[in-house]
Amino acid sequence: MPPTRWRATIATHLRRCLLAPPCGVGGPRLSRRLSAPSIWATLVALFRAVPVPLVFCASVAASLALAADLGTAQAQGDVKAGKGVYERKCLLCHGEKGDGQGAGAELLAPRPRDFTKGLYKVRTTANKTPADQDLFNVVTHGMPGTSMPSWEVLPDRERWNVVAYLKTFAPEQFKEAPKKLELPKEVSSSEASIKRGKEMFEAIECHKCHGTEGRADGPSRAELKDEWGHPIAPANLTKRWTFRGGASRTDIATRLANGVLGTPMPAFLDSVEKPEDIWHLTNYIVSLGPDRPTYATLVTVGSVTDAIPDDPGADFWKKLAPQYVPLMGQVIVDPRNFNPAIDLVVVRAVYNDREVAFHLTWDDPTESKGDGKQTFPDAISLQFPPQISSGTERPYFLMGDANEAVYLLRWEQGKGVGEASANGPTKLAPLTGGEATGKALFADGQYRLVMKRPLAAKGEARPSFRPAVFTPVAFQAWDGGAGESGPKMSLTSWYYLRLEEPQSNRRFIVPPVVAILTLAAMILVVRTANRAR
Amino acid sequence: MRRALTAGAAIALITGVAMWFVTIAGAQGGGTIEAEVKYSGAPQVDKLKVNKDTEKCGTEAVVEKVVVGGNKGLANAVVSVPGAKGASKAKAVIDQHGCKFVPHVVVMQPGELEIKNSDDILHNIHTYSTANPSINKAQPKFKKTMTEKLEKPEFVKVTCDVHSWMLGWVAVVPGPAAATDGSGVAKIENVPAGKQKIEVWHETLGKQEKEVDVKAGQVTKVSFEMKGK
Repeated sequence: MPPTRWRATIATHLRRCLLAPPCGVGGPRLSRRLSAPSIWATLVALFRAVPVPLVFCASVAASLALAADLGTAQAQGDVKAGKGVYERKCLLCHGEKGDGQGAGAELLAPRPRDFTKGLYKVRTTANKTPADQDLFNVVTHGMPGTSMPSWEVLPDRERWNVVAYLKTFAPEQFKEAPKKLELPKEVSSSEASIKRGKEMFEAIECHKCHGTEGRADGPSRAELKDEWGHPIAPANLTKRWTFRGGASRTDIATRLANGVLGTPMPAFLDSVEKPEDIWHLTNYIVSLGPDRPTYATLVTVGSVTDAIPDDPGADFWKKLAPQYVPLMGQVIVDPRNFNPAIDLVVVRAVYNDREVAFHLTWDDPTESKGDGKQTFPDAISLQFPPQISSGTERPYFLMGDANEAVYLLRWEQGKGVGEASANGPTKLAPLTGGEATGKALFADGQYRLVMKRPLAAKGEARPSFRPAVFTPVAFQAWDGGAGESGPKMSLTSWYYLRLEEPQSNRRFIVPPVVAILTLAAMILVVRTANRAR
Repeated sequence: MRRALTAGAAIALITGVAMWFVTIAGAQGGGTIEAEVKYSGAPQVDKLKVNKDTEKCGTEAVVEKVVVGGNKGLANAVVSVPGAKGASKAKAVIDQHGCKFVPHVVVMQPGELEIKNSDDILHNIHTYSTANPSINKAQPKFKKTMTEKLEKPEFVKVTCDVHSWMLGWVAVVPGPAAATDGSGVAKIENVPAGKQKIEVWHETLGKQEKEVDVKAGQVTKVSFEMKGK
């Protein structure tokens, strides 16, 4: 064969290997374009036919290709090794048979996946079979908003192995090869796109489940069941960080297009007016909330000189910066709350010379007054030590204990705002003679509440608030509609709250005066010096 | 003599033509099966209060799990002749109307199912199938019809998650088949003559089988008595 022909062959091989979707890199599903023997054959031929530098380049390419081959072998995963990983890390929740009936399953909501049906929520495929990469991603990143954690701590190979093992629970479902979902052409976010997305959101009636404002409070929410007959909640579209399959625009568009298998969420790719509406909807959903909240470490109470409005819907509150406080389920005393309904309270707070006011916002799909059997009144409370001491000693965070009480500023559906003293989650004693007031609004799956109280308080049971003092504060919330009451609640540990010092007008006067005086002094010095000469 | 001959020829011709017609009809149609399905248990019809879309759905939803008509006739049972060929190729249609699946049971040959939404509100067609790929597709108000393929014999449950009371079934059967009417009677025409296995299926009462001898051009009656599970 003449050298030119050889060169052409080599060039083709190299181009295939280096430029075409590479040999094995990027996942197990991509076919290997060039097998190891053919690479070696090429190399041997190269040695015979072409100059050394080219041989060098080719050997580098070949070793890259071989390494990629090796990567593919890993990516395909070893079922036997995967079984070992599964038994160590997954079995407790997902069960020995992969049926989602592990020992921990009862405590979890949503329940762990039953792998025997081969139905996977998060997939980038047009058919039911998920790509191996989809399973790998879930194992790697976990499922936000559920009990499934990220397993990034495991080496890649172990994760691929476990993916291979998972597939053996439903061999029938994996017989059909995954077919990649083709998303419509991407539309970047703009005011017009968001507007169109909102129109589409209304036209395709997303609100039926997700609610008018996307807060998971739609009229169908209570009826929703998953493939296994377990109740399932729609996603709260304003809390993108809890999206099971990720919060990126592509993630959202993919879920919209092909639905979430095993759940009521249907596929919308063929059910929007134009294919690009999938992206308009995505842009609208993204506009509903931040991708993740910036949690507050210190609750700051701003200083104002004017009167503080009572209305939680007043514009005044919208202008204040939101402070996000995360809540956890109470799991220390019975009845424990492993799956708390309220996971976030947004705090805005101000004080003036007379009173302090807390504006709280939290999502709750139902406004519940409670029937006393299955549902209870919704409630929220702010907890403080009865007296603010300068030390670090604080009462027990879980609403105090027998020795030390806490002071609660609380609101309860039907009762309104009140004050209480507590010596534990079930030992509340209302405090009388207080001047706490407040008002709550409920709309579209969200409470907004203003609670006010005089800064100074008399007696041992109530703290007084003073500027610039680090005041311990904790939060508790109950979604009565979800059956929360008493110790079954969401709560925080102790935080600190601080009233900003009032900003007096002196800051506008003192610095200029000092500057003028300094200048005058300098002039004086210079003049004196000049005269002295 | 000539007259007699002419008359004879005419008679022969008429008879021949008549015979030919009968043969054709016989070859085409076979026999007819009239199945009567009875159930002596109590009907099971759940009623629910509707909390949304009341102008389309009404204020009360009726879930027809077991519907028993006059003379203990069981409605919505599917009678089929799975082994026979020659079923009608008419397009199967299921409609979502008044937040109900109409009809409650659709009988179809493996192939295409037309899914209509006459309600002007969002429904989602959610099938629970194992042989066929399961479907969960949204059907917003502007999407009046969709077509889905159901190519394998199976009794497929259909629900709508938006209106959780909505329940329907699609019976994908390979042979001639029909669903029983309100009085528990199903008529299947064009069943090939000979011994045939007749199967009856009901969504909550299960399956039964019987063998009957179908005679061409005749109506063969068969009756089933379903038992509660």
